[in-house]
Amino acid sequence: MTDSTERWGKPVCVPGDEDRDQERGSGGCLAGSMADVGIYMDNAASSFPKPEAVIEAMADFLRNVGGSSGRGAYRKALEADKIVFRARQAVARLLGVADVSRVVFTANATESLNLAIKGLLSPGDHVVTTSMEHNAVWRPLKAVERRRGVTISQASCAHDGTLDPADIEALLRPNTRLIVMTHASNVTGTLMPVAEAAAIARARGIPLLVDCAQTAGVHPIDIERLGLDLVAFTGHKGLMGPTGTGGLYVRGGLDLVPLKDGGTGGDSMLEHQPEWLPDRFEAGTLNVCGIAGLGAGVRFVLEEGVERIREKEAGLLRRLLDGLSEIPGLEVYGPRDPARQVAVVSLNVRGVPAEEVASRLDREYGIMVRAGLHCAPCAHRTIGTIQRGAVRISLGYFNTEGDVDRCVEALAGIARAAG
Amino acid sequence: MPFLEDIAIAFIEPCVADPGRVRLYAEPSRDLAEVLPYLNAVVNHAAYNKDGPSLTFMKEFRLITIYPRRITMSKAQNTTDAWQVLDWLKDLINDTYDRRGSITPVHGVRWRPTALQIYEWLPRTNCKACGEPTCLAFAVKLLLGERTPQECEPLFLPEHASLRRAFFEIVAAFGYPAPPGR
Ligand SMILES: Cc1ncc(COP(=O)(O)O)c(C=O)c1O
Ligand code: SF4
Repeated sequence: MTDSTERWGKPVCVPGDEDRDQERGSGGCLAGSMADVGIYMDNAASSFPKPEAVIEAMADFLRNVGGSSGRGAYRKALEADKIVFRARQAVARLLGVADVSRVVFTANATESLNLAIKGLLSPGDHVVTTSMEHNAVWRPLKAVERRRGVTISQASCAHDGTLDPADIEALLRPNTRLIVMTHASNVTGTLMPVAEAAAIARARGIPLLVDCAQTAGVHPIDIERLGLDLVAFTGHKGLMGPTGTGGLYVRGGLDLVPLKDGGTGGDSMLEHQPEWLPDRFEAGTLNVCGIAGLGAGVRFVLEEGVERIREKEAGLLRRLLDGLSEIPGLEVYGPRDPARQVAVVSLNVRGVPAEEVASRLDREYGIMVRAGLHCAPCAHRTIGTIQRGAVRISLGYFNTEGDVDRCVEALAGIARAAG
Repeated sequence: MPFLEDIAIAFIEPCVADPGRVRLYAEPSRDLAEVLPYLNAVVNHAAYNKDGPSLTFMKEFRLITIYPRRITMSKAQNTTDAWQVLDWLKDLINDTYDRRGSITPVHGVRWRPTALQIYEWLPRTNCKACGEPTCLAFAVKLLLGERTPQECEPLFLPEHASLRRAFFEIVAAFGYPAPPGR
């Protein structure tokens, strides 16, 4: 299976797929086969493939359960309710949260970040963030700046994306109402000093909002031990769930203005959104089908173990970084150290536009990566690639050493041709 | 295999005593009669009614009654809260069962609801049909044993069916049997 054209466009089940599944260490738990899709290395955008259990949970819900949660007295509706509860419980366990009701489900990390930022900040407030944020943080901040007169300070990160927590502290003002930072950059994979920031935030009594879109499921997070106040996560990346799922952890005692108002099921008598969680922030019929899949994804992560997932990804990343370091004419961004980042690497091939590299990797080698600014212009400005963007390779739990080797070979080929 | 594998919620409705909360009943996957006296010993502030049998106690603001084949909970915050408390209860029951060799079962009542708690599950109309000036006065007399639940006739009207069910869960704590039918 070295010839990419052979791999490309194959029917779903070809002899040898089982071997590849074995190689992926998935124990046959993978949905479908990778043979027909090439080598997927865009896991920072959305993880693929999904564990078979995720697809089964969603199909089972659609086929056998139906019903919306929290809104019926008949057994199927209660079953839907239980599915949602079990998913919430799995997320709480994974993220180190004792009270399951503090985990609010949303459509994705973007909604969670909007809820936290817009639900907390009022006119005259000041907010501190970093120069490595995704637009899912940056745009809601710019929106409250324009509409509510909130002021923003941005801590500058180094070229490899690393942040000195003292730079956060230096920007705090008497009216600082919130600190927002990503847990790991979606461009360079750089891990941020969240524990240090949490200590600073706690000492000043300022809530800290952490964007865990890139870390939930692939890097350990212990919310209550770290004392985090607000944590946004998305369901379709490291948590292995479907798109359209995500959530926000809200610390007890911290209130937010809901983003939306509407029906929440059991408490129709009240004229306002209820005060208790999670109902307060979950108006409207939940994405129960998606949440069923998310629950199965998180249980998969719990069973495999985040440490083990992290270890495997770190090993693949080490192999990738070593391979890339041998190729002349490459610029690789970020810490280039598995201990200081998640398995996301951005790079450029000297003399070749990022989009062309990505497109050639796809067409000639069947390798899927992403080029451009990755919805994070701040981060690209920080690493010096705001003009040309970069090629982003993001590994997942189901990638293999063989995938990494083929990716390195392909990039070497493209760089050689350009040189 | 644990003693109790599952507690399945079978019915949820808005709580009559507090419309912002929910009331539910759930079915344990096996008969709980034998663990009730042990639970009574462990919970420490419960009312065990050996004739039911049933065990009633408060878990913070929630009122829980455990019958051999049914568990009821009033004033849960929402279904998430209810599931969470039922998980806690399942663990408590299993743990109590595992340790029953070293627990001395208690058959007596160790807790009584207050008049105010009983009052919450009365119609609260002060209609005087029972001969008392107010529902609260009726609740006080009930606690003193000078009145019986049946003397509040409005409670037995169809529109108070779910109030009545909850009411009998709390008065089960001091020995009144639940009326026939649900
Ligand atoms: C760091 C970061 N934050 C937020 C998001 C937004 O996630 P979603 O698109 O699922 O809302 C992403 C991914 O796109 C991300 O990488
Ligand atoms: S009959 Fe019932 S509702 Fe009427 S006053 Fe007595 S306790 Fe209250």
